[in-house]
Amino acid sequence: MIAIALQLFKKTSVKIGIGVIGSILVIAAIAGIWWTQQPPPQPIQFPHVMHINLGVQCLYCHPGALRGPSPGLPTETKCWGCHQQITVRNSEINKLIDYVKAEKPIQWVPVAILPDFVYFSHRPHIAAGLNCENCHGEISQMTVARPQKMNMGWCLGCHRTRYANDPVMLTKLTDCENCHK
Amino acid sequence: MRERISRRDFLKVAGAGLAAGAVLTGCGPDSRYIKRTPYIHMPEYTYNGLSTYYATTCRECPAGCGLVVRTMQGRALKVEGNPFNPVNLGKTCSRGQASVQGLYNPDRLQQPFKQSRGGSNRQVMTWDEAVATVKTALTVSQPDEIAFLLGLTSDHLADLISEITSALGAPSPYRYGAFAMFEGRTTLAKAAEQLFGTAAIPYFDIGNADYVFSFGANFLGTYLSPVAYGREYAKFRKGNSTGQRGTLIQFESRLSQTAANADIWVPVIPGTEGLAALGLGRAVAENQGGTIPAAYQSIDLPKISQSTGVDQDTYQTLAKLFTEAKHPLAIPGEAALSVSNGFEAGQAILALNLLADNAGKPSGIFFTPAAVQAAGSSLPNTLQDIIGLVEAIKAGKIKTLFIHGVNPFFEFPDLLGFAQVAQKVTQIISFASFPDETALQADYVFPDHTGLESWGYQRTVTGADRASISGAQPVVVPFTNTKATADVLLAAVQAAGGNLAQTVPYKDVVEFIQHAIQDLLNQDGFYNAPDMTTFWAQWQQYGGWWAANPGLIPPNTAGSLVQTIRASEAQYDSGGGLYLFPFMNSPLSDGSSVNKPWLQETPDPTTTVMWNTWVEIHPDTADKLGVKDDDIVRIVSPYGEIEAAVYRYPAIRPDTVAIPFGQGHTAFGRYAEGRGANLSKLFGTRINAAGDLAVHGVYVKLEKTGKRHYLARMESRIGVYGKFQV
Repeated sequence: MIAIALQLFKKTSVKIGIGVIGSILVIAAIAGIWWTQQPPPQPIQFPHVMHINLGVQCLYCHPGALRGPSPGLPTETKCWGCHQQITVRNSEINKLIDYVKAEKPIQWVPVAILPDFVYFSHRPHIAAGLNCENCHGEISQMTVARPQKMNMGWCLGCHRTRYANDPVMLTKLTDCENCHK
Repeated sequence: MRERISRRDFLKVAGAGLAAGAVLTGCGPDSRYIKRTPYIHMPEYTYNGLSTYYATTCRECPAGCGLVVRTMQGRALKVEGNPFNPVNLGKTCSRGQASVQGLYNPDRLQQPFKQSRGGSNRQVMTWDEAVATVKTALTVSQPDEIAFLLGLTSDHLADLISEITSALGAPSPYRYGAFAMFEGRTTLAKAAEQLFGTAAIPYFDIGNADYVFSFGANFLGTYLSPVAYGREYAKFRKGNSTGQRGTLIQFESRLSQTAANADIWVPVIPGTEGLAALGLGRAVAENQGGTIPAAYQSIDLPKISQSTGVDQDTYQTLAKLFTEAKHPLAIPGEAALSVSNGFEAGQAILALNLLADNAGKPSGIFFTPAAVQAAGSSLPNTLQDIIGLVEAIKAGKIKTLFIHGVNPFFEFPDLLGFAQVAQKVTQIISFASFPDETALQADYVFPDHTGLESWGYQRTVTGADRASISGAQPVVVPFTNTKATADVLLAAVQAAGGNLAQTVPYKDVVEFIQHAIQDLLNQDGFYNAPDMTTFWAQWQQYGGWWAANPGLIPPNTAGSLVQTIRASEAQYDSGGGLYLFPFMNSPLSDGSSVNKPWLQETPDPTTTVMWNTWVEIHPDTADKLGVKDDDIVRIVSPYGEIEAAVYRYPAIRPDTVAIPFGQGHTAFGRYAEGRGANLSKLFGTRINAAGDLAVHGVYVKLEKTGKRHYLARMESRIGVYGKFQV
């Protein structure tokens, strides 16, 4: 089977064909990688920028970040607490009203998720005085949240820089078991 | 001709393949992102990413162990024991651990429906229609044409139904199931009544004993309250109270999980455990000197030795141990009780405790005080009662049969003919949560919540050191369109109106439970409260109620050894040369949990077999028959036959074959169906003097089939006991 494929491989027309297909694949691969960096479609185009400019604190809607591993997504009760008193200005708020009236959950798509084998808790990071935008980017400029680069090198880079002069903390925070329990 | 592929060509093909694979198989956002479904209204005391814990009660067996279930965002994740509950003090068994797989079982019945018997023509109903159906059934038929058949779990439901039936003037609910059948619970209680005047299941204080003589009691596996006894066994072994490591002596024809842990295993002939106890008692009485009590005067040790197949020297050695022990304890077990002479055997074994003078003392036997009195009898019914029910059905006297928590089409002996007589019932209403054999043969199925979604309570029959009652509360919102059976019945009662609704006035199951437990407000509990609202908050927090201090009831021993105990031989229905030794093991137990793959995958504690039924045969017997490991044999009793694969088991008497109960389901979902064989096909209906089924009551013969089935088992196939024979 492979032998026949290799025979064909030697013909010029086949080579050109494969070249074309190969180029398409390479372009598709590049497009695919670009695609992964795009924010996923969200049920509502939630404008973070507007809420932050109005003075709403991040922890108001994501209070879990203060207490534990997950900041949590706000419940509809929380959205509706304010929005039932606010004039409807655009179609996105109508979507919220529809969800609330139908008592259906809004299925958000979180963009900052870590793999299951990483133990991560927001709490010590908030306790260490980090702000949300240190890791999540300039949320105050975004509508829906956009994915940020969050890989192990990025985590370790920050741990190493912050504790370059504290050997005890540096050892603790660069230990494998710190995150891969 | 074979061409050689150059390295360069190989890399070209492989590279193209990899690139295509990488692009064409999900690098896109869909593979990276998942949707999250947040709460619409987040419950109080819930935090994102943090677990919420609820205390509840296990419903996998009637022991009533307390559980603490870890939940996250409305999903039950992990079950652990409730450290406060005096029954299990923080421990659980494998069945409790697996209860989450009942909650998430893909074969759960998800809504009420009616059907033709056998499962065809299913039509989904609404709960309003279901309630109306129950209401009609309760009101249109004459009261004595209604029968309730319940299992041993869900005591709150049995109490509620007892109230309803007494308001209607209908017969009390029947409570029966494989646990009552195999363990001879009523036999034990009636034997205790004979000696101590109290018809209740005794508590055996293993933890404070130094020598335990167990007569066929697999108390580390399934017997009565295995988690409590397992915990006490640990204390006994460590010698926490006696200062020395406890010694366990097990009389049993087959090496069970408990026998495997014993120091001395005495393989008596099946059905002679009671005789062995009398023989031992006689030898002990002789050792103690003085007058031989009436119970042992007519006992002839050489004869007993012959009947039980245990030589006299063994009796003398064991009697010496018993006499010299400071805190000996004798426990009658399921293999001694569910036999035709079980009533006498129970008395003989309990009487040993009188010789040891331990009744009501540490290391002895006690009765457990009831925290909340049962509306009816606290003991299960007997097979004799069930035969009465079957006769009534056969005579056409029962029009409506309600079934909850028991699977009679699977568990009851086939010979009873329940499946055939059920045709005579006008309507069968099942409250099964799973599509078991009984749900399949019902006209209406109104599925109950599973245990982790339910309110309820379970009395502690034995195992706790004080009066206690375990409370159940939902740990998650019910996943599917099921409804608590108690709520269905209460809604039907309210719809019926009149005297019935006035006598049973509760609006829902919670109100009923609060009514049932209100007397606890006046008792000295582990917590106390001035009113029900405060009490209820703590009831939910701690998962039940128990007395502030330990306290068990000492039995009344006056005149107990004066009466004689009949040394009767067990009767077996003939049909072959081998005793059939049916048993429940800890993962399969009564067969109601085998739809959980974790339990199917849990190896049997002694043979390590999984996912199937096997027949344990002594290698000598197997050689005589010419069967090897994994050969399928036909096991023929006078009443039926089944096929199972052979497991050559050196730890069983050569004249006995043992088969576990629980498999052989023809319905009950994807994990249970079509695997193994149902032992109840082999059973007779012989009953003992207490009215319980003689589970150990038939001889069988084995026939070769020429087929083989390789049993899945955890131990090496080469075998612990020699070379694996192919």
